[in-house]
Amino acid sequence: MIELIGVTKYYPSKLGRQYVFDDLNFTIPEGHNIALLGSNGAGKSTLFRMLAKSEYPDKGRIRTKKTVSWPLSLTSGVHPQMTGRENTRFIGRVNGIRNLTAYENRVQEFAELGSKYDLEVRQYSSGMRARLAFACCISIDFDIYLIDELTAVGDAVFKRKTQQALLEISRNANVIMVSHEMKEIRQYCDSAITIKNQQLDFYQDLEHAISIYQR
Amino acid sequence: MTKPLDRNVLTVWKDVIFAIFIRELQSRFNDKFGLSWLVLEPLLYILLLSLIRSRISGNEVHGIPIFIFMLYGLLFIRLFTETINSTATSLRKDKPLYAFRQVQPISSVLAAMLIELMSKIGVFALLLLAIYLIEVDFNLDDGLLMITIFLTLWIFSAAIGLLFGIGTAFVPELDKVRTLITRPLFFISGVFFSLQDIPQAYWHWLTWNPVLHAIELARFSSYEGYGQAGVSLFYLAIMSLCFTFFALACYQLTWKRTLSR
Repeated sequence: MIELIGVTKYYPSKLGRQYVFDDLNFTIPEGHNIALLGSNGAGKSTLFRMLAKSEYPDKGRIRTKKTVSWPLSLTSGVHPQMTGRENTRFIGRVNGIRNLTAYENRVQEFAELGSKYDLEVRQYSSGMRARLAFACCISIDFDIYLIDELTAVGDAVFKRKTQQALLEISRNANVIMVSHEMKEIRQYCDSAITIKNQQLDFYQDLEHAISIYQR
Repeated sequence: MTKPLDRNVLTVWKDVIFAIFIRELQSRFNDKFGLSWLVLEPLLYILLLSLIRSRISGNEVHGIPIFIFMLYGLLFIRLFTETINSTATSLRKDKPLYAFRQVQPISSVLAAMLIELMSKIGVFALLLLAIYLIEVDFNLDDGLLMITIFLTLWIFSAAIGLLFGIGTAFVPELDKVRTLITRPLFFISGVFFSLQDIPQAYWHWLTWNPVLHAIELARFSSYEGYGQAGVSLFYLAIMSLCFTFFALACYQLTWKRTLSR
């Protein structure tokens, strides 16, 4: 359960304050795999970053007792001039993993980078970078994972692996997902939240939400 | 198996600062020179400038060997400008890391401060070794005063750097102002001259500058006979205290907003 209490968020601009949310009260229910649906600029990413506490609301607060991942997009927090292994250890340290070696091995195994794990990330292809970032996140046991547009990670083989991992997560933990691919959403999510006109609505039934969203 | 631990706030801070510290070392110094460049570059610089100055004007300034005189000036002004630069830029440089909720902007500032402190102590130690090897007479009358000045100036610089870092997040042009301001400080902080060389009537044009106080006091701490005319530790300390308070207050007020910029 994540509670949003009086959340106000705006961005300053030439045209004055652009409000994304204004005094929003909402409770994201527990135990659901949730898709965030909304058109471009509706505030999906902003909400996402606030849930992860990468950003903070200008007013109000967001309260939860669950452990929440960072917003997993393609290259979150990976330094190009460090090796894959060093990057993994950094992320592990920051997130308070006690057994860094075990974490390191788990990431290495999942990302399938082989010996390139000890090369600097700037020598990786974009697909390999995404694999590393994904593996770093997935190898930590969070209660809730925030996943942002994951469709393009890696080649066909890795995609299948990602799918399996995500399906497993959606059974054991929970995901909140942003994607414009309805196929992907149907695969992992069972319910949805729509964002429209600064308002959030929760729909128990995913298909119902999609039909409203696409109308 | 790899569950995130339930840590108290202090442990999180320690872990995060340590992680950024290591990351800085790994990413900044992964070329062939590696870590040694951090220490060698200022060492060469100070040696060269001191040698030039000692060729131009005698071997002593107010009872201090010219080499030692220059060494303190250059070491302390570098401590000042480089701590400012690295703390001010650390806020923006580490921006991608703030995606991790545990990483707050202040942790990158603290990590940058630690790196500067460590590297300057390394430089100082190597310079002392060089002094020993070239057999310049070296004296340290008040070691405790020296350490106090060193640390106070370090904190003062970090406070200024933090202020610039926060300011730059809102007004990017401040970055240029910073480089514009730090350069002339090189010439008015008593790196090349002593306050005693200047007629007392003009002192007030220079003594507003805490860095001058730090440099002159460092020379005094090393050679008591040099005297501490016109400078005081109290002024340096009170300026550091005020700026640190002001910088931390600004940080506390703005850090959440700087994240979304």
